[in-house]
Amino acid sequence: MSLRLRLYVAGGSPNSVAALANLRSALQLVAEPPAELEIIDVVDDPERGASDGILMTPMLVRFEPLPERRVLGNLRDRSVLLSALGLEERHE
Amino acid sequence: MAYTTDKGAVKMTGAPAGRGSSVAPAGRMPTGVSGLDDLIDGGLPSGAITVVIGGAGTGKTTFALQLLATDSDAQPGILVAFEECADRLIANTSGFVWGGDALPRSVHVIDAQLSQSVENGGEFDLVGFLAVLHAKAKKIGAQRVVFDGIDVLLDCLGNAALARRELFRLRDWVYQSGLTAILTAKAADAHAAPQAEYAFLQFLADCVVTLHHRTVGGRALRFLQVSKYRGAAHSANEIALAITRMGLEVAANTAGERCFTVSNERVSTGVPRLDAMLSGGYHRGSSVLITGAPGTAKTSLAAAFAEAAAIRGERMVYVSFDEAPQQIVRNAASIGVQLASHVASGMLRIHSLRARSESPEAHIARIRALLDEEGTRNLVIDPLSAMTQAGSETEAEDAAIQLFDLAKGAGVTVVSTSLLGNLTPFLEHLRFRVSTIADTWMHVSYEIRAGERNRSLTVVKSRGTAHSNQVRELILSEAGIALADVYSVDGEVLMGTLRWEKENNARRLREAAHQSAVLRQRKAELALSGIRSQLDALTREQSIQEEELSQLRAETTLEVEHRTGEDLELLQRRHADDAVSGPPLDTHGGSST
Repeated sequence: MSLRLRLYVAGGSPNSVAALANLRSALQLVAEPPAELEIIDVVDDPERGASDGILMTPMLVRFEPLPERRVLGNLRDRSVLLSALGLEERHE
Repeated sequence: MAYTTDKGAVKMTGAPAGRGSSVAPAGRMPTGVSGLDDLIDGGLPSGAITVVIGGAGTGKTTFALQLLATDSDAQPGILVAFEECADRLIANTSGFVWGGDALPRSVHVIDAQLSQSVENGGEFDLVGFLAVLHAKAKKIGAQRVVFDGIDVLLDCLGNAALARRELFRLRDWVYQSGLTAILTAKAADAHAAPQAEYAFLQFLADCVVTLHHRTVGGRALRFLQVSKYRGAAHSANEIALAITRMGLEVAANTAGERCFTVSNERVSTGVPRLDAMLSGGYHRGSSVLITGAPGTAKTSLAAAFAEAAAIRGERMVYVSFDEAPQQIVRNAASIGVQLASHVASGMLRIHSLRARSESPEAHIARIRALLDEEGTRNLVIDPLSAMTQAGSETEAEDAAIQLFDLAKGAGVTVVSTSLLGNLTPFLEHLRFRVSTIADTWMHVSYEIRAGERNRSLTVVKSRGTAHSNQVRELILSEAGIALADVYSVDGEVLMGTLRWEKENNARRLREAAHQSAVLRQRKAELALSGIRSQLDALTREQSIQEEELSQLRAETTLEVEHRTGEDLELLQRRHADDAVSGPPLDTHGGSST
């Protein structure tokens, strides 16, 4: 199983910065297989946000494994994030 | 907190020279609502933020889209839809001349629904959203942007503090970009002016417009009120609005007058006796509501109306929910209402719609389009209650009211049915406020007595009509629909077999009474003839007696004369003194007979 992720952020806004940090720290829990992560800054590339139908940021999209999942927000809630990544917390 | 006119403000010069002209005073953006701009200082403030607050179905989205559709070539606009998907939102305006497919290309609608499939992963902000929006606005040269359903976005933000922070961000962005922004927000109560809600939004905005509706004297009225207008003298009065094919319009100014011209013309209900009950039929252009439990012949009455219209040579649109045209034609034929030939000739168009597939507003738009297409003066909605299933109760009511207004505006007589249980009319009235808006309300119910179920029809109300307040029995047969008198006995209405029995009894009683009268007459005649014959006999006796009497009198006189003669003779013979006898003596009368 491989993870294919995309994170839409908005420049250096606090929520976007936090989302990226929270995502990276969660991904460190998984060594294998490495996740594929693409970061799109809609402030730099607003056309991309519009064409992808992403308006609100920060937005994490998991393309693989299917089904596609979308999580909006700074990903501070670890359990929501892990669940979206298809990972369970240790104690479960 | 109440907002009043800013006293020190410089009032922008009033109405533009030409009434209805699209030229707004500097700093004003025309709303496109006919007649409104003159009343609100030339339009909404441009380069500023206007918040539009109103309950469900008060026309917020219509107001916003109408504004964008106005003068859209010169001023392209964007509508960001937080609450509804773009397609549906546009479809809902298809009944307006500027809406639906006719919505100008320079009006861009962006889907921004935060669908259920997006998970909540903590705080977010509008930084990215505004960046995307900014790029889009720049690309199309947008001058105006509408945030439709901003309340939905604010709810998603999680808490009031975050909502405020993002609203400030939004405001700053609007001011920096020089756009004119309209934010619509849903108020909990559609019937009152929602002054208290969204205090912060109202504080933030340069202009606050509230929309609400309420029923006054049985008519649903829409109102617009400008409760805040920074930097402009404005009236905070309620302005009555109407919804017509043009969209929102100021009621006093518009089409209102033309729309609601009242007609004294009557159109047949298709049931002669019912026409009589309603002093000639339904008023042309009025709205009729037929309520009743399932199977009480609501559809049959609607079909009779359809047939009558077609026979008059008038086009008829019959909108049926969840029943196929063939089914309606067949069922109507079973009670002697022949629709097939009218369908074939094109006089009668039956459209079957799926009740749950669309919102009430979308149905309204469909029906509006149908009326336009067919150019009809007669409409049946069967049942109206199905059409309003897909929305909340308020929306449903609102849709029904809109439909009646729409029909009235077009001079279309609309007969609608509504499924209601066998409650007392008063309770039904509470359950479906539409009944107060309809001009004529008839209720059909079942009366179950003595093991029979019979239909009864009451005209609960009929505006401007001296209608019969009597209950009638509704009888369906192959020969058609008929109404019969019902008997009221000890306050109860008798129908069916009971009525028949009662009728029989009455007939028997009448016959008995007749016979006894005949008998009495004969007796009297007999008595009279008896008296007459007695009278005859008496008269005869009378004449006999009279004759006898006169004879007796004659005899008596002769006798006296005779005796006088005799006396004389006697006196002479005796040489009696003259003085002996009284009477003077006739010396010549002495001759005997």
